[in-house]
Amino acid sequence: MDPSFDLPDSTDWLNTPLSLLAPLESSLRCQVCKDFFNNPVITSCSHTFCSLCIRRCLSKEGKCPACRTSDQELKLRRNWAVQEFVEAFTNARPGVLDLAKKAARGDVGLEQPASKKRKVEHGEDRESDSVGADGVRTRSRSRRLDPQPETGIVEAVEDSQDEDFIPEDGLVACPICNKRMKNEAVFRHLDACTGSASPNKSRNLGPLQVSQTSRSPGNNTTEKPPGRLPTLNYSILKEGVLRRKLRDLGIPDWGAKQLLQKRHTEWMNLWNANCDSKTPKSMKDLLRELDIWERTQGGHAAAASAFAPPSVMRKEFDKEAWSATHDDDFKRLIAKARKKSEEQVRTTIPKMEELPSESSKAAADGPVTNGDKPESPRLPSAFLGPAEVASNSAPSLGPSPNPEM
Amino acid sequence: MKEHLPPGIAIAKSENLEEWQMDIQVLDDNPLYRGQTYRLKFTFGSKYPIEPPEVQFIQSAAPDPRPIPIHPHIYSNGIICLDLLSSAGWSPVQTVESVCMSIQSMLTANSRDERPPGDADFVSYNRRRPRDINFFYDDDNV
Repeated sequence: MDPSFDLPDSTDWLNTPLSLLAPLESSLRCQVCKDFFNNPVITSCSHTFCSLCIRRCLSKEGKCPACRTSDQELKLRRNWAVQEFVEAFTNARPGVLDLAKKAARGDVGLEQPASKKRKVEHGEDRESDSVGADGVRTRSRSRRLDPQPETGIVEAVEDSQDEDFIPEDGLVACPICNKRMKNEAVFRHLDACTGSASPNKSRNLGPLQVSQTSRSPGNNTTEKPPGRLPTLNYSILKEGVLRRKLRDLGIPDWGAKQLLQKRHTEWMNLWNANCDSKTPKSMKDLLRELDIWERTQGGHAAAASAFAPPSVMRKEFDKEAWSATHDDDFKRLIAKARKKSEEQVRTTIPKMEELPSESSKAAADGPVTNGDKPESPRLPSAFLGPAEVASNSAPSLGPSPNPEM
Repeated sequence: MKEHLPPGIAIAKSENLEEWQMDIQVLDDNPLYRGQTYRLKFTFGSKYPIEPPEVQFIQSAAPDPRPIPIHPHIYSNGIICLDLLSSAGWSPVQTVESVCMSIQSMLTANSRDERPPGDADFVSYNRRRPRDINFFYDDDNV
């Protein structure tokens, strides 16, 4: 990595007295995007991912990326505890890391664990006094140089995210029922609290009011998006109907059906992931994200295909475009096949359909040297040997597959 | 990350987000790989990590020799037959590090001094990228 990208990473803790925070930080990061969980949700198999990450995975494969259990996006549930944990951690991170690095260099004479503990206690003691004082600190990742202000920041952060933003009344809210009470009363109350107010709802609405801390400024009055988008069965939808649906959703409706499908899936994932957010983004922000997708992976991504060849493995792979682009190669191959064996003539079959049969034929005939055919559909037969081609869809690709690897 | 990789794995090149190169070594005493360093090239598409990166060994001559390791799943042009690099076997939770470790252990565990069957043929006509080859394999069977 270019040293100018100073991205926070769990390994930042290694070589400091707080190296044990490296695994802690790792566990707060999504295994798919490797960043801190963003709107974490939990799967049926109890794995947690960013809402958007797991939705993208599920819409591609329908399986949990961690354990490969089948799952559906409908079954995803928000994981607030993890969300709060991430927020608290990322807020505390710059200060704590800074201290840890100083300690590693020997600048700070403090014993790190002790000073950290003291800081937390200190924060709790003064919690009620400082509510609202710095209540709207945003999550900043900038390095703080002076350890003293850290204490203040850590406190402020805890306050701003746990409670409704009600300044200086000296009270704190029960995290379950949101009832406000004196600081000392909270723990006693918690033992008895039945969570009368629907806990999800109150967690959900509370922070909406402090959306100054979110990444979408000016959005704090926006209502939550009305509802989640259902998955569509694209195979039963006619292109025109799908196009109209996209238009109704307010997203671009140009392109062939495959592209419409992909765009709809991406939009559904963006939208539904946004529904999982405590601080939902505006439609405008989502459209901007869809536009980024369009330019990198969607209909405007043509330029990128030099790097990433058309994803022929995707279900919605555009057969027509592929056949058109490689028409010459296919023709050459067909000509060759005809020469080799008269009964292989299949001019009436559409070219894409012909590929599998061509290659299994080739497999039956034994490996064929194809010279310089860059697009040779016979590759797999020689690549794998006839036995593997005949055997059915084993996931491993090796000549003698070893699933361990 | 770069200072904290597992033993035998090092970043050789990571200037951009499209292609990385990694050096790997087999650390045990396997005579097939002892004392050698091999270079892996990772090519990341725009759909990474939802879709797998392309991973293959690349060769270079002295002064920094990087041969293609001998292995019954590794073709002499560097293309690797490994389940987890295919679309079906890939999972987005994999990382460059985990892929390197898998390949490292794939080498460690091997005792056969041979290339895959059909290596010469495959190497002579293959101009495709690994993921396209896998595609045709999948396509034949599905």
